[in-house]
Amino acid sequence: MCRRIFSTCGVAAVRIVSGKMVLSFYLFTQQSLPACKPVLTPGWVIAIFLFMGVIFIPVGLVTLRASHCVIIHSMVVEIVDRYDIDCVPEPSRMDKVSYIQDDSIPKNCSRFMKVHKYMKAPIYIYYQLDNYYQNHRRYVKSRSDKQLLDGQKYHDTSSCQPVESNNNRPIVPCGLIAWSLFNDTFEFIREGAELKVNRKNIAWKSDRGHKFGKNVYPFNFQNGTLIGGGKLNPEIPLSDQEDLIVWMRTSALPSFRKLYGRIEKDLDVDDVVVVNLMNNYNTYSFGGKKKLVLSTSSWLGGKNDFLGHACVFVGCSSLTLAIIFMLLHVKYRRPYGDMSFLPWNRKSFSG
Amino acid sequence: MQVAELIEKDLILIGATAIEDKLQEGVPDCIETLSRAGIKIWVLTGDKMETAINIAYACNLLNNEMKQFIISSETDGIREVEERGDQVEIARFIKEEVKKQLKKCLDEAQQYFYSVSGPKLALIIDGKCLMYALDPSLRIMLLNLSLNCSSVVCCRVSPLQKAQVTSLVKKGARKITLSIGDGANDVSMIQAAHIGVGISGLEGMQAVMASDFAIAQFRFLKDLLLVHGRWSYIRLCKVVTYFFYKNLTFTLTQFWFTFYTGFSGQRFYDDWFQSLYNVIFTALPVIIVGLFDKDVGSSLSKRYPELYKEGIKNMFFKWRVVAIWAFFAVYQSLVFYYFVTVSSSTSQGSSGKMFGLWDVSTMAFTCVVVTVNLRLLMICNSITRWHYISVGGSIVAWFLFIFLYSGIMTPYDRQENIFWVIYVLMSTFYFYITLLLVPVAALLGDFLYLGVQRWFFPYDYQIVQEIHKDEADDSGRTDLLGIDNQLTPDEARSYALSQLPRELSKHTGFAFDSPGYESFFASQLGVYAPQKAWDVARRASMRSKPKPKPNKIN
Repeated sequence: MCRRIFSTCGVAAVRIVSGKMVLSFYLFTQQSLPACKPVLTPGWVIAIFLFMGVIFIPVGLVTLRASHCVIIHSMVVEIVDRYDIDCVPEPSRMDKVSYIQDDSIPKNCSRFMKVHKYMKAPIYIYYQLDNYYQNHRRYVKSRSDKQLLDGQKYHDTSSCQPVESNNNRPIVPCGLIAWSLFNDTFEFIREGAELKVNRKNIAWKSDRGHKFGKNVYPFNFQNGTLIGGGKLNPEIPLSDQEDLIVWMRTSALPSFRKLYGRIEKDLDVDDVVVVNLMNNYNTYSFGGKKKLVLSTSSWLGGKNDFLGHACVFVGCSSLTLAIIFMLLHVKYRRPYGDMSFLPWNRKSFSG
Repeated sequence: MQVAELIEKDLILIGATAIEDKLQEGVPDCIETLSRAGIKIWVLTGDKMETAINIAYACNLLNNEMKQFIISSETDGIREVEERGDQVEIARFIKEEVKKQLKKCLDEAQQYFYSVSGPKLALIIDGKCLMYALDPSLRIMLLNLSLNCSSVVCCRVSPLQKAQVTSLVKKGARKITLSIGDGANDVSMIQAAHIGVGISGLEGMQAVMASDFAIAQFRFLKDLLLVHGRWSYIRLCKVVTYFFYKNLTFTLTQFWFTFYTGFSGQRFYDDWFQSLYNVIFTALPVIIVGLFDKDVGSSLSKRYPELYKEGIKNMFFKWRVVAIWAFFAVYQSLVFYYFVTVSSSTSQGSSGKMFGLWDVSTMAFTCVVVTVNLRLLMICNSITRWHYISVGGSIVAWFLFIFLYSGIMTPYDRQENIFWVIYVLMSTFYFYITLLLVPVAALLGDFLYLGVQRWFFPYDYQIVQEIHKDEADDSGRTDLLGIDNQLTPDEARSYALSQLPRELSKHTGFAFDSPGYESFFASQLGVYAPQKAWDVARRASMRSKPKPKPNKIN
């Protein structure tokens, strides 16, 4: 398809004597740079589609294997349980908002999750929120990264309005994102024995190490009249408050999940896991949903077939197009490179 | 007259001088090529009618097969009135004459217009008649008549009339006009046209100073229009449509995001990404295309002047073309947005951690930059080293930028949204698979469209490309600087002479001499008449396509 084309001229010999730079400059300014002139012939079209099919179908299949592996112990298994409606007791179902805002009512709730396939450790625990716009413009900017690193020494926290200060004392960490910290808690019991949940190392290392200060402690946090979410232990520095770190990495979509912790044991088929959760967080005011997700993970990640399916789809459609083009090439062969196909050479052409 | 008769008596003839004022070399060939390219050529000259017609014959503007309409002020009727001397009556009479002539010619032209394969039409009008024909009442008829003719020759025109004729076509017919001239009397015409070309040379530099383009010889007009003008048109169309496409893709990807933010207006990309997109990450490749893209080489452009008609018909910048680019921009933006966000909705990598907004947007932006740059390579007809450097360089520049930008924490007050994002992304397999899949999925539609368009609905230049696909391009420099031959000079000359077209017509461009007559009489007497140098040169500059008409003279 491509040919390297060089021009030949007797004068070039003279120029080369006076320096290769002069020749290159001459080629540049006289529009005669050596160029590759790709001409897309039918052969190339078919070849490229075949090539793409051959590349993408295996890649797609490999990617799908990550979540649908035939080998039992490597499968990605996911259990999802929506609990926000069921965890509100019957009498309060009419007015969930006042139920959730009433501190005197105990909010514990028990759920049962049945394991339908073998789940290999580590099993990741996520909480999923729907209809929660963490990507809202005013929400995303309502934080102060400098304050997260420097603490009260940093004073210019105007971006955190309206959650900047309370009773004339600064709030650390300030901003709506921290203020709305998710505070449902989960405990897992299987066959009477508690499953230990590892809550360390759930945030990205770069966040823990560089964005949240090791000497910054929560101060005057969640002390106002309007409680938005969870409270923070003022004795633990921010770099160790992994719940907060995970929460503050705002999500892209209104339906998202965030990592809560890890279970380091395997779960067998037909195991029933009892979840004792505290239903503290208010998603009822805006019609949000809360779900608990238990998921294993593979080298590619959680249970997401999209990439695999997309690769296979691209590969298959390329192959289909290659076959269609081959058939068309055989049937409707346009005389290729034929002078008589030029419009001014065709008989019916009239100027 | 009487005084002259008294003085000029008993003089001794010493000699005679003659001035040779021949056409520049390559002019007939150039004019014929330009008319094949769909450009109509008019001659506006100050010479008298016979000379102008001779020159037109020499240039292949007129030939014996054309139907010629001659509107002249040298008719008997007009001369009679002029002798009477009454200015008002002269003016009125000439105007009436001109009106009658125009009407007659126009009616005849309409007849030919309706018949499919009539002869070509030519109009020859002289300056005095033109003065009245440019009158507002007659102007429309003149314009209609002249637009139907394939050549127009105006003789005895003054510089002002040259400018008036040019403006007539420019404003009345709304066509693009180019005027070319070499003397000071052409300056007003050069300035009146859309494009003015001045020929620098024997008559001085006034035309050059007033013009938009200056060339050294008339035949370079062929290069100027068919090669550089055409390339310039194609490059402009490509640059403009590509620019709109890449910005549309970039912006629409963000646009789909707004539906998911509760319409709050949260930006999808970081500020610096948006600012530098058009400045660093996608700027240089399109400039390189605008400078160097060639659909066919220069020698092929001149060999197939009909390719110029694509520009006349504005085939590459119609609404349909823009709509197709816009459609693919929408398709690609949907691919970018949905592929990236849907595939990042669960955890990435075996650590189980989730991506945030800025990870997703950086991934999408990387895909946009890579795809948009690769798309540019798909629209190139000729790819030089600079294309590779600029496309590769832009993508590398993006990666360098994001490595730097996300790697540093500055003491200035900025939201550290993008801190460490790219390193987090590159630590997952997701990044690499997505970077492989998304550009390919996005470009799949474009590639399919290009393949189908080239296969079933090819443009003219694409057919020419296919015909000459396997030839090496001589890039046009060789014919400007001299081609070296393998033949000896004598052999070369006799070979060249034998390739010349035979003498077929009476008109040679010279008022009184014709080799046709001379060789006729020589052959009658049995004497050998050698070829004349000027005649050889003249025939060499004509097109060497043999005409089917039989030779009447020899």
